[in-house]
Amino acid sequence: MILPQFDVLVPETVNEACAMLAEHAEHGVRVLAGGTDLLVNLRRPIITQHVPRCDGCRTHPEGAVSSTIDCTMWESEPLMASGGSLRTLLRDQEKTSPEFLVSLHKLKELKNIRRSDDGGLRIGALTTLAEIQRSPEIRQDYTALAEGTDNLGSPLVRNRGTLGGNIVNARPAADAAVPTIGLGAMLTLHGKSGTRSVPAEGFPTAPGKTIIEPDELLTEIVYPLSPTYSGSAYYKLANRKALEISTVGVAVWVILEKPGGPVADVRVALGAVGPTPILAKSVPAVLIGKVPDKAAIAEAAEAAAGDCRPIDDHRGSAWYRVQMVEVLTGRLLKIAVERAGTTT
Amino acid sequence: MKKIISLTVNGVEHELAVEPRRSLLELLREDLGLTGTHKGCGIGDCGTCTVLVDGVATFSCLTLAIQVEGCSIETVESLAENGRLNELQQAFVDQGAIQCGFCTPGMLMTSTELLRRNPHPQEPEIRRAISGNLCRCTGYQKIVEAIKTVAGENDE
Ligand SMILES: Cc1cc2nc3c(=O)[nH]c(=O)nc-3n(C[C@H](O)[C@H](O)[C@H](O)COP(=O)(O)OP(=O)(O)OC[C@H]3O[C@@H](n4cnc5c(N)ncnc54)[C@H](O)[C@@H]3O)c2cc1C
Ligand code: FES
Ligand code: FES
Repeated sequence: MILPQFDVLVPETVNEACAMLAEHAEHGVRVLAGGTDLLVNLRRPIITQHVPRCDGCRTHPEGAVSSTIDCTMWESEPLMASGGSLRTLLRDQEKTSPEFLVSLHKLKELKNIRRSDDGGLRIGALTTLAEIQRSPEIRQDYTALAEGTDNLGSPLVRNRGTLGGNIVNARPAADAAVPTIGLGAMLTLHGKSGTRSVPAEGFPTAPGKTIIEPDELLTEIVYPLSPTYSGSAYYKLANRKALEISTVGVAVWVILEKPGGPVADVRVALGAVGPTPILAKSVPAVLIGKVPDKAAIAEAAEAAAGDCRPIDDHRGSAWYRVQMVEVLTGRLLKIAVERAGTTT
Repeated sequence: MKKIISLTVNGVEHELAVEPRRSLLELLREDLGLTGTHKGCGIGDCGTCTVLVDGVATFSCLTLAIQVEGCSIETVESLAENGRLNELQQAFVDQGAIQCGFCTPGMLMTSTELLRRNPHPQEPEIRRAISGNLCRCTGYQKIVEAIKTVAGENDE
């Protein structure tokens, strides 16, 4: 892999990381967690936020570029096949890539799963997707999140990729971000001047873009208490079970007043049907207060379909996606209601 | 701008000066001459570059050398015992799970991780475990058979 030139900074604490981010902001700086998005995007190069570098550091001296060619050129390198000289390519890459990466691998305090005081769950941003997938506690109480990781990438992607990375990367189809929104999580952002807590659904603003400030780290993802009569589910609609981006992803969370209904609260989050993962805002009004029978669920599913704004692409047409949102929301609501206690 | 890092590879400690952007894969193949670990896609899609980092199956192409400072790395070269193929490697040979061999190092390391975590996986778990490792030759069946042989023999 030919990567553009960058320097890697390795902070020992969260505060040090934020100070580094602030200090180098004008030269283009990115956080490096598992690298499963960042190191791929750097190579393409398609990073959209907090870059490019300032004018003064846009190009490297000739010598730096030729040393790259000497030491890392692999003849099969696909970049070469895309036309243009390697030198031009590296130049272009550097214009749109950060000068610094702040690698979080020493911040072990961001790698944990624990209960919060109010009975909710706090997951450190560096927790890997594999750790989430294997957590019995998450599978039991935050099922949609566990199911979100089940078919995310491949086992190798899950071993390396982190929950924080999946959320900050802000892809519309992000399989762990969608249930995070569905489960009503809050994100803790820590910056040079303090800490703030923002709802997950308001975090991404466009593909690859979020409200995070250049000096901020996502440190923790905080899921609210999972009440007694609640259940959740996620489904990834895709052509394969591994190494596939979702055509549609749906996460639902239902809280019942008592087994069998009525619905006390409900959240439906949708992936790959808009520029960011989205919360289906019209569902609660349709379902809250009702017994979740077939008719009520059908009405809620139709409302979710009305909330999405998909596009046509090679994974599926906009029309197909809307149909699938309706079908999947209906099915998942039924499953979540069952999990919430009607059948136990 | 090279940085000095230390790490353990197949039980041997190394101290190396690496460029910040050097991948673990490049470090293994070019600096240490351990060419058993292969490079396919370079972007996390094929799994042939898989090694174990502190016991976790990891694609070395998408891991910077700097990120594994202080870690213990195991590559396919560590599997043979006293110059003889280990049980899993021998099963791959016996079951015809190796054709061109390009995917083999990654398949072996991924299944090594699996068998350490669960010595007796059933077929669906085996198939899931290797779902990030692509093979263009065998059609996977013989690889699954090979892993099953070892999973079965562990069954005492
Ligand atoms: C082969 C392959 C298949 C994949 N399949 C899927 C899939 O099916 N579904 C899916 O959703 N994703 C998939 N991905 C994408 C990726 O694996 C996930 O999004 C993963 O969760 C990213 O986490 P990471 O730790 O590797 O992030 P990184 O690549 O390290 O970072 C991603 C982005 O987030 C920023 N960032 C990371 N952590 C923080 C933090 N704590 N604070 C502030 N900023 C931060 C980085 O600067 C970067 O911009 C796939 C990737 C690969 C290579
Ligand atoms: S070379 Fe690393 S996954 Fe393909
Ligand atoms: S044996 Fe050729 S790719 Fe697997």
